[in-house]
Amino acid sequence: MSQHLSSQEISQWMIGERTPQQEQHVRQCSQCGAELDRLEAALALFRGSVRHWSGRQGRAEPPAIASMSPARGSRIQPMRWALVAAALLVLAAVPIYRNAQDRQRQAEIARADALLLEQVDAEVSRAVPRPMEPLVKLVSWDFTSTDERDENRRDTTRNEEIR
Amino acid sequence: MATPGIMIAAVERCASEIDDLDTLVRLHWPRVFRFALASLRDPDAAGSVAQDCFLKAYRSRERFRGECSTEAWLMRIAVNLIRDYARNRRLQFWKRAQTSAVDLDAAGQWVPDGGASPESGAMAKEQLAAVWNAAGGLSERQRTVFLLRFVEDMDLLEIAAATGMKEGTVKVHLFRALQAVRERIGRSQ
Repeated sequence: MSQHLSSQEISQWMIGERTPQQEQHVRQCSQCGAELDRLEAALALFRGSVRHWSGRQGRAEPPAIASMSPARGSRIQPMRWALVAAALLVLAAVPIYRNAQDRQRQAEIARADALLLEQVDAEVSRAVPRPMEPLVKLVSWDFTSTDERDENRRDTTRNEEIR
Repeated sequence: MATPGIMIAAVERCASEIDDLDTLVRLHWPRVFRFALASLRDPDAAGSVAQDCFLKAYRSRERFRGECSTEAWLMRIAVNLIRDYARNRRLQFWKRAQTSAVDLDAAGQWVPDGGASPESGAMAKEQLAAVWNAAGGLSERQRTVFLLRFVEDMDLLEIAAATGMKEGTVKVHLFRALQAVRERIGRSQ
């Protein structure tokens, strides 16, 4: 292989895909060797700078286990449970409130019905319809029974004798 | 080829490692945190992601069947968390970029003391800044495989296990990432 590595072949080389011919060429060609060295050096610098930056952070060291999960989990879990409980309470309270309202409404309707029935009973049990009552007073109909009339008459006679 | 006995022993070793959260964190925290930091470029976010990664790993340890190394499994969880984090916090990107800009500049300017001449030192800083800029401009998948390969030194199969991609897909993303980085380095000269 006498040709220099193409741009694609250089990238493939860095991935690890290389043929024996390419390896032989790179060993002999200072230009291709320098190009690969330059790229490898840039990537090594990048690796070093990431590690350096990471190492400078306070969090680069493993945290204490106690400060990790359970603390955070225990803060979050009760909050979640409280939210779930609140949601359940709301869901349960709505039907109960509605039931109470319905019951109150039904009781009012029942009271109104009872009142109406009483009025109807009162109307039905009248001897004379309400519009005719003034006439009854004028005529002064005697609705008393025969026995009562006899007794009334006897009372009148007794009163006259006494006088 | 590994015998079933060796494989079972390896799986049991991984399982016992995962069961012990203390050991798990002590052994793998620096790497997970570093990968999260390089991906998100925000120390606070990287710390949160690393913490969530270990918690998630510990809580789902029953599901670990040992088909990959503990490290690859942790990295896979970290990759998913970083992706979710980046998607959720896209709107806060500029705020984050401002707060970590100073640190990032320092990282991009860092060059080890090797007794190099001022000229070569300046050139190295330029190349380093070019790689940082190029990595920042990569797509999410390209950046992930680029960081796993060239910062974490993982091989293609490990990257495939950590990202859930096929080996061929990893190669394609890595190739494109390298092309972008080389182009950027070439422009900086």
